[in-house]
Amino acid sequence: MSQTLGQKEQSLFQQIAKHYENKQHKRGLKVADQLLKKVPDHGNTLAMKALILNAMGQKEEAFALGKTALRNDMKSHICWHVYGLLYKDERNFEESLKAYRFALKIKPDSSDIQRDLAHLQIQIRDFSGYIQSRRAMLKAQPTLRTNWTALAVAQHLAGDLEDAEKTLSMYEDILKVPPPKTDIEHQQALLYKNMIIAETENYERALEHLDIISKLVYDKQLVMELRADYLLKLNRFSEAEKIYRILINRNQENRSYFAGLVAALQLSESQPDKLTEMYAEIASKFPRADAPRRIPLDFLKGEEFRKAADDYLRRMLTKGVPSTFSNIKTLYQDNEKQAAVEKLVLGYAEGHTPNNTTDEKAAKEKESFHGSVLYFLAQHYNYYTSRDIPTALRYIDQLIEKEPKSVDYSMIKARILKNLGDTKGAAQMMDQARSFDERDRYINTKSAKYQLRNNDHTKALDTIGKFIKADATGGPLGETIEMQYVWFLTEDGEAYLREKKLGLALKRFNTIYNIFDLWQEDQFDFHSYALRKRQIRAYIYMIKWEDQLRSHPLFTRASIAACKAYILLHDQPQLAKDEPLVNGTSADSKAKKKAAQKAKKEQEKTESEADKKAKATKKDLDPEGKQLLETQEPLKDAMKFLTPILESSPKSLPVQEVGFEIFLRRKKYLLALRCLLATKSLAPASPHLHSQILRLQHALETLETPLDAKALKTFDTEFKPLLPAPAADLNTVNEDFLHKHNDIQSVLAAVHVRQVLDPDTNRTQAPQDLVKAIKQDSTSLQAAQITLDLLNRWHLDTSSYVTAAHERWPQATAFAAS
Amino acid sequence: MDIRVLEIADLPYVQQTNLTNLPENYFLKYYLYHAISWPLLSYVAVDISRPPKSPYDPPRIVGYVLAKMEEEPTDGIPHGHITSLSVMRTHRRLGLAETLMRSSQRAMVESHGGQYVSLHVRKSNTAALHLYKDRLGFKIDKIESKYYADGEDAYGMKMDLEFIRDELDEEDAAAEGIDEGDAVGDEGKAGKEVKKEKKRKVKVGRGLGVGDLVERSEVRS
Repeated sequence: MSQTLGQKEQSLFQQIAKHYENKQHKRGLKVADQLLKKVPDHGNTLAMKALILNAMGQKEEAFALGKTALRNDMKSHICWHVYGLLYKDERNFEESLKAYRFALKIKPDSSDIQRDLAHLQIQIRDFSGYIQSRRAMLKAQPTLRTNWTALAVAQHLAGDLEDAEKTLSMYEDILKVPPPKTDIEHQQALLYKNMIIAETENYERALEHLDIISKLVYDKQLVMELRADYLLKLNRFSEAEKIYRILINRNQENRSYFAGLVAALQLSESQPDKLTEMYAEIASKFPRADAPRRIPLDFLKGEEFRKAADDYLRRMLTKGVPSTFSNIKTLYQDNEKQAAVEKLVLGYAEGHTPNNTTDEKAAKEKESFHGSVLYFLAQHYNYYTSRDIPTALRYIDQLIEKEPKSVDYSMIKARILKNLGDTKGAAQMMDQARSFDERDRYINTKSAKYQLRNNDHTKALDTIGKFIKADATGGPLGETIEMQYVWFLTEDGEAYLREKKLGLALKRFNTIYNIFDLWQEDQFDFHSYALRKRQIRAYIYMIKWEDQLRSHPLFTRASIAACKAYILLHDQPQLAKDEPLVNGTSADSKAKKKAAQKAKKEQEKTESEADKKAKATKKDLDPEGKQLLETQEPLKDAMKFLTPILESSPKSLPVQEVGFEIFLRRKKYLLALRCLLATKSLAPASPHLHSQILRLQHALETLETPLDAKALKTFDTEFKPLLPAPAADLNTVNEDFLHKHNDIQSVLAAVHVRQVLDPDTNRTQAPQDLVKAIKQDSTSLQAAQITLDLLNRWHLDTSSYVTAAHERWPQATAFAAS
Repeated sequence: MDIRVLEIADLPYVQQTNLTNLPENYFLKYYLYHAISWPLLSYVAVDISRPPKSPYDPPRIVGYVLAKMEEEPTDGIPHGHITSLSVMRTHRRLGLAETLMRSSQRAMVESHGGQYVSLHVRKSNTAALHLYKDRLGFKIDKIESKYYADGEDAYGMKMDLEFIRDELDEEDAAAEGIDEGDAVGDEGKAGKEVKKEKKRKVKVGRGLGVGDLVERSEVRS
């Protein structure tokens, strides 16, 4: 019920609002309680109290109170507005939007409500709603330029370039006096207008407009970049060339400037002489520049390449640039170039003679050059296209002998051990490297990463803990969550997945999921801030980035891993209950349990200490993810991760593959087919396709309820053509496939199909086909590990497989004799 | 290597590079605050030497400079501030830090009329101190007692940017020489206007929520 307040109460109410705005929540609460003593049912006061409680982190109380407030005064715009704000905070945008609309209906001239509604609309990309709101705001305050710009932004984002430009021009037309040249808002609005014109792809007009405004803006480099780009698109090459040359004078390492210059000179890789000349000229002008020296290696061939590579390598190795190898390894996609580089650098190594000069400086330089050469060779022989691990080890050991405490050398050695599959040795070696320079965080991070690859969570946390302040809430792990260490959480979660500790794995993947939600939410404040800061172009880029936020490779990786964890949970529900048997030894797991308990205790200790200091930080009630494991529908839960990655990374093969596995198990055959077809178009030769096609066909043949007519038709046209022969026996097809292929992935695919068609037989036969595949040169360590994981999942006898794998990779931790 | 202005889509990767290299870390929102407020001041060094693997390959950020303009300079002189600068250990000796810093400084002068640039460095960080002092030309301005969360003091360092103004003027003169009266020349005039008005104080965006939120996290560690 609506109540009117007396004058004294009215002033108290205004105090509450003021305290809230100034974030003096305790004071606000006190005044609110004081007022509520007199008018206990006063809706607006209850609503304000709810708002304050919400800001203080007492979300549940706030919500209950907000509801009461609304019940007491359904006609108050304040109550509805607060209700909307509370929903917004809960990320229930739909309800929030409704509440704001009610509030605005009651008080149509409230600029606060209108603004909150508008920001929510753009946050959820309700473009037509946003345009409407922006029109209303412009109508209310047409003298504010920001309101014009904002309407243009709304139209632009909705895809209406023409109206957006018109809106900006309309404001310019009503300006009676041109703004002073120091008016940043004017400058940025002009640049924004130019961006809109360029998006119409009418570069003639964009250039014309840019020429007019270029006198008025400070951002000269940006104007040059835009201008050169437009000129290029208009084939006005000589003018473009001049600007690119100026830009290169400013920055000789910007690749787009060089690409622009090449285009402006109308040169291509078919004229290597002219290109070489161009780069040489720039290189001679800038003796320290890298790009004009490095780029020619990409297009030169044969003897020309050899000569240029020789100059380049000598220069970099003399300088002792540690990234020399990583900078040129991309050339190894060309076998001839790889051979030429190898020959050159081996030549440098052979040319080295023991010191016989008395010139100390020259001797030192010679030694340093020789060191760089060996360092290069160690990396060269560790790289996958030129791998020869014993040789790599020989070079790196030679260096370590000379300089046992070099971080860089030990780091490379750790990487070599990793490629041998020796995850344990690699982690130890990387940690040794770390110990040589404890103040360098880079090597600390590397060490923690290698420890996680070795499934050693405790050590990894200890390691990164050395750079995290002791009183961080929740210890180092809490800090990784708070400060958004996506890399750490991904690696940690993947390690738990390898160990089949699904609760903890899912816990980490959910944390990553939440970080991305937070990043999406982060844009909220910028809807108003960017406008006030006048940075419209940057704001538009932010919106575009946010719209494809989840194509981030680590989001994809973590989400795929989460899907795999849910598939495991579906296929082997006992994993939710059992203590996972890693390597099958119970003593080992006992020790691990003990360590885990200890770690937990310590975590609790630090947590309780931190809690004393912390104000209202929410405690994680399920730190091990046990609740996540209690799900009855793991595959349905997996959709939380699968849906966004299918949407944001549809061209990722692993995404489509994991999508197929989930849809097949969920009996969503049309969706499974869609993933299968996507896989086919991305990787037509993938052996996975064989297994996918046969397993899907098997599922269709054993359907309990037949498909509806529409689905049948789709399968007839899209799926049937993929089958080897109509009405063929799947077993025969599979065995035929196995006869024709002997690479490990194809064999595994066939074994997989066998498991599905006939899960009870061939128990010992399966590994024998794979044992043969292990011995092939083309079989990678990684593929062999994935295979072992699947064999274990199907409870097949792996002893002969492991023995063969151990023979092939004696150092590999995964195949170590237990 | 490609050294270019930081784009908003780079931000998560810049954040991961910062977490990899340095003990002073920030929320993504703080990076966003920089990139939106001063979109031309921050630069990244991207390792482009990896063969592409998928259409979603991230930029491999091996170095970055995150910079801003002081929003309310106490001395009334517009100037820039380096919030964070780092280069991966594996990519040292390429002069990346220097190129990143110079690019940012140029934008401070050109786009914002900045007259000097300031930064903080841990007293014990001799390597960084050497870089700023001997390679880049910064001078120690003052000692800020207990600047870092762990109680360590910071050197407040400063570098005058007048020399960049001179460089830009030379560039203008040269451009006018080859390209009389054309729009590039007009650019030059716009540049000079900046010079004339370089004492101007640009007051923008104070007390605007985001600023509040992120300022606090700046001195985290």
